[in-house]
Amino acid sequence: MKKKVLSTLLALTMTASVLTACGSSDSTNTETTTETTEEAAEETAETTEEAEATEETAEAETDVEKPEKITMMVDGTLVTQENGRDEFEAAWEALTGIDLEINQPDHDAYYDQVGQVFASGDLPDVILLDSTRYTSYASMGVLADITDIYEGSDLQARVSAAGNDALIEGIKIDGRLYGFTPTRGNGCVTYVKKAWLDNCGLEAPTTYDEYVAMLEAFTTGDPDGNGVDGDTYGVSAAGFIGGEAPYVNYLPEFYQDAYPGFYQKEDGTWADGFTEDAMKEALQRIADANAAGIIDPETLTNGTSDCRNKFYEDKFGVFTYWAGTWATNLKTNLEANGLDGELVALEPIAEVGNYIERIAPVWCITASCSNVEGVYKYFIETMLDGGDVQMLWQYGVEGVHWSTAAEEVCGNTYAEGEFHMLENLEKEGTQYTKNHLDPNLVLAPLDNDPGAAAIADENKASAETFAANSVVADLPISTDAMQQYNGDLTTLKNELVANVAQGKITVDEAYAQFESEGGAEWSQAIVDSLNQ
Amino acid sequence: MSKKIDEQTQKNLAILKEANRRSTLRRIKKYRGFYVMFLPVFILALVFHYIPMIGNYYAFTDYKGIAGAKVNWVGLANFTKMFSMAAFHSAFWNTLFLSITKLLLNTFAAVLISLFLNEIVNIHFKKIAQTIIYLPHFMSWVVTASVFTLILSPTSEGMVNQILVSSGIIDKGIYFLAEDTWWKPMFFVINLWKDTGWGTIIFLATLSGISPDVYEAASIDGAGRFQKMRYITMPALQNTIITVLILNLAKVMNLFESVFVLQNDAVLSTSNVLQTYVYYQTFNSGTIPNYGYTTAVGLTKSVVGCILVLICNWASKKVRDGRGIV
Repeated sequence: MKKKVLSTLLALTMTASVLTACGSSDSTNTETTTETTEEAAEETAETTEEAEATEETAEAETDVEKPEKITMMVDGTLVTQENGRDEFEAAWEALTGIDLEINQPDHDAYYDQVGQVFASGDLPDVILLDSTRYTSYASMGVLADITDIYEGSDLQARVSAAGNDALIEGIKIDGRLYGFTPTRGNGCVTYVKKAWLDNCGLEAPTTYDEYVAMLEAFTTGDPDGNGVDGDTYGVSAAGFIGGEAPYVNYLPEFYQDAYPGFYQKEDGTWADGFTEDAMKEALQRIADANAAGIIDPETLTNGTSDCRNKFYEDKFGVFTYWAGTWATNLKTNLEANGLDGELVALEPIAEVGNYIERIAPVWCITASCSNVEGVYKYFIETMLDGGDVQMLWQYGVEGVHWSTAAEEVCGNTYAEGEFHMLENLEKEGTQYTKNHLDPNLVLAPLDNDPGAAAIADENKASAETFAANSVVADLPISTDAMQQYNGDLTTLKNELVANVAQGKITVDEAYAQFESEGGAEWSQAIVDSLNQ
Repeated sequence: MSKKIDEQTQKNLAILKEANRRSTLRRIKKYRGFYVMFLPVFILALVFHYIPMIGNYYAFTDYKGIAGAKVNWVGLANFTKMFSMAAFHSAFWNTLFLSITKLLLNTFAAVLISLFLNEIVNIHFKKIAQTIIYLPHFMSWVVTASVFTLILSPTSEGMVNQILVSSGIIDKGIYFLAEDTWWKPMFFVINLWKDTGWGTIIFLATLSGISPDVYEAASIDGAGRFQKMRYITMPALQNTIITVLILNLAKVMNLFESVFVLQNDAVLSTSNVLQTYVYYQTFNSGTIPNYGYTTAVGLTKSVVGCILVLICNWASKKVRDGRGIV
């Protein structure tokens, strides 16, 4: 009985809506026909078109139900609780009129928590995932397909206008989109200390031979000018191979065209770069360089922070590290130690061709979200709206993270109206550089970016060098064979690379071991599964 | 006749059972306070130790860690794969070797230091010495690893290499933490430095429980310091040493943090233990790992740990006149 009453009421409501719409349309038409002059008729026609367009837009907008609440999960790249996250949340809620619930686990334990969230089934509406988890969870059907929502949306128009369609195409899986990445992935560029080059009378290298000659000069000579020859190293890195894709980004000059992971060839088929001749040659280059002593002898036990500290202490001169903001960080830390902070962000040497850009973390709407379109429209799309919400994601909250007031911050004096970041609430004496979105990397810039002028020259220069000389890494694809074997395979590869680099075994012995311990078999099984 | 006896026996048994039941109930009622106090511990053990064991079921599936996703029963496939992997075997034996050697070395060193500390007469010096040797225990493994990486650095900044090179023992610095032959000895030394002091607490407590009268009597009988140690102190410590060894043996399969922070790619075949093996299976897979497989490894580890404890219990009963630990 109740159902019948409800159905009747719904039917009546729908009929009334349709009649009202017809009535409005009629009245508009009546108004247009009352005009007599041609000009007036044209004007009226224009007005009618505009009104209809507005009506259509309004209708389309009202089709998307505005969520009352959105739950999100994000890592430490958003301002943390200690750094004014509550203010960010309040400002976002004020701009959108939606209740936002943020789950932000500790940055280092983020993916442990993500795993637990997916295992428990208690999923947020929207979640930030790295490329590996993005493809894996998408293939398991727990992320919403937003292809049709994205196509033709305002967001797509803005990304297209900025010429970044290819980056979104790059995260499609079998032509379907399961998330959106608001920024480029960025990557590493090779920095060389300008003062060291000058002291050794060298120009920035453009070929591998020149690069090695530079490292030799930095190792055997006195590039730091302390009067002692041979107390420095050419280059340092945190391990001979990276722990995650793109693996080669800390020593690109040695790897050159070699890639130790799975990649898609130009003909569309997949291959394991570790099994190719290019990788064998790369291993030989690394072994030779290490034996020659031009690579930091502590490379195997270095963490990235060890490398940074050694760089700041002038122990080595060539450091391949993140482009953009890090260029400024490296410079200021060198200067803080009383050293010359000028760095040359190298264009890739001829044999390298291009640096590799990683795929940026992807914002995904989970399959358990009950209002995918609403979350897309009010959360993802607004993230790059070019206005206030993007400003919030990019720079944070006015008065908490940035300001335009006349004041002195961390020793820097700013005039009234001059945009500047404020002092970090957690780290006294340092200023914020950004919030979640890096202004250098956003796929669609702010309509009027007040921070653009504040971006340091070296930051811009390294970001531009990288952007002009990089290719995006392949999206990692997940298969059952990869789940079965890739853990053992990657561990074996890492071990062989380290042993060859240390001169414990030759390249040929490494590949014989790779064969005998099952690496070749696992590799082939994964390649076959990718090519199926 | 025999039928009557049987009936009588049955009746007697029933009476005994009833009496036992009443007696148990009376005991529970009498000691209800203790049972109430025990309840939280029981619930915690149940919730955090026993109920999670249901998760062992995943060792026989291809579980991918997603709620609601189809979980396929794969039988013993994960175990078959595990036993066919050379890396698993290597990790298994490394776990046993590193853990048991570490346990024996640490216990031996702790006993030795306890005996020395016990001989110190000046109470202030004794307390200072105790505090100094306890301190490393409170350092995190990450900090410990950083400190020793610096001390053992192959460059001129590494203290050990600097001493060895400058004294002419070696020509070129040794990369202690990246060479298979050196990694294990360094691992044991670092563990000794960090945990021996803490291990002395229980032995010192035992030593302080020995009556001074016994030593006095031995002195009167003409026993020297070494004889007192041999015939009084060591026998008194014997039970504690066995208990400590047995209790720690239950944990030998849980080796992770100390290994993880000290290992690197060049020494994986020497240093990879079961816990780090599971870690690399999870984080090196480049995709969502097969949690069924890692659960299978975890289950095997637990079963081996349990067997070790049972063996120790059996050995304890043999050695200590029927006194086991469980």
